[in-house]
Amino acid sequence: MKKILLVNTLPENDLSVSNVVQALESEDNKVQVFYAYEKNFRPCVGCNVCWLITPGVCSQRDGYDELLKAYLANDAVIFLSGTTLNFVDCKMKNIIDRMLPLVTMGIHIVDGQCRHIPRYDKKFRFGLVYSGVADNEYLNYWMERVTLNFGGESLGAYPVSDVKGVSACI
Amino acid sequence: MHLVIISGATRPQPKSNTAKIIAAFQKGFEENGNTTEVWYLSDRKQWDNAKNAFESNEHILIAFPLYAENIPGIMLEFLSGLKPKHNSHTKLAFIIQGGFPEACQSRCCEAYLKMLPAQLGCEYAGTLIKGDMFGLGMVDDKNREKMLAPFVEMGRHFAEKSCFEKYVADAFATPEYMPEKQIRMFNMIGRHISKFFMGSIAKKLGCKGNLYDKPYESSVNNPV
Repeated sequence: MKKILLVNTLPENDLSVSNVVQALESEDNKVQVFYAYEKNFRPCVGCNVCWLITPGVCSQRDGYDELLKAYLANDAVIFLSGTTLNFVDCKMKNIIDRMLPLVTMGIHIVDGQCRHIPRYDKKFRFGLVYSGVADNEYLNYWMERVTLNFGGESLGAYPVSDVKGVSACI
Repeated sequence: MHLVIISGATRPQPKSNTAKIIAAFQKGFEENGNTTEVWYLSDRKQWDNAKNAFESNEHILIAFPLYAENIPGIMLEFLSGLKPKHNSHTKLAFIIQGGFPEACQSRCCEAYLKMLPAQLGCEYAGTLIKGDMFGLGMVDDKNREKMLAPFVEMGRHFAEKSCFEKYVADAFATPEYMPEKQIRMFNMIGRHISKFFMGSIAKKLGCKGNLYDKPYESSVNNPV
């Protein structure tokens, strides 16, 4: 049984949420849902405190540390997002921007490109499921790049109508 | 030409590298009587003015730091609150600045920016990419001026062309990838210098821990 974290920025009563949970659980996964819609996590302010002053700990005390721990605890993370301007919604972008404490400020070169040295010995697996209009090809490309920076593996980007696709990848 | 410049950076203006880049760009752009107005999204009180400026002008430049391979969340929030323009000839150009030296790090974001103006009823007017900007706020004035000089030149270019021409933007963005020789040098010496440099900054800032600390180590593969 795999442990899956579902980070959800859709309203809790959105039908997509239960559909995605059901699809993930049908593959014998244990799903922990993190409802972020009401949380209103603040944007990353680029202060570098998590790199230079309190390494690994964000300066903003708004409960995001619970998510940092949950990313580490689970076998895979699925981001469930609405869309805006052909992309993920603003809440989701803020959540992903805030993942910076998972890497250090140190740099190493991987496959000819600079990367931040991961803070933890953890192979992250991130996937994206979105509800709304977006450019699927681009979102797949973006997820690849995002996961690369955390030394992880992308599970891909899927419209909510194709949630079984992400279940199959986990 | 009058140019509206919007900073998508999240850091307050005095500490923002993007703001420093904008100031250098303005210097070159305004040389021949062109004018600018700048709005900073880090200050939410400026959002209404930025929105009005977007709606009533035809030359817009948005400058921002690369955040998780794309635009920062607050910039996405601001843009998603704009009404798409109809029958306008508004040109939307971008400046991406990042910490890593290679331009390839910003190409994923650039691909999104190429699609974005159409969503807002605007035309795409090019993207300028510049890496290695992390230290901009930490170097002395002389070195900062040297780092910013290319942006002054790009301000002149934009004043003349009303866009960033691709061949100019490509030349400006170099290196696309770090050359083999530079990678070897980094692996032999550079990474040690970089580690020492970061350690010294951290110490000055009052860091008492180790930069590689793992405060949530007990959570790894261990759900609550």
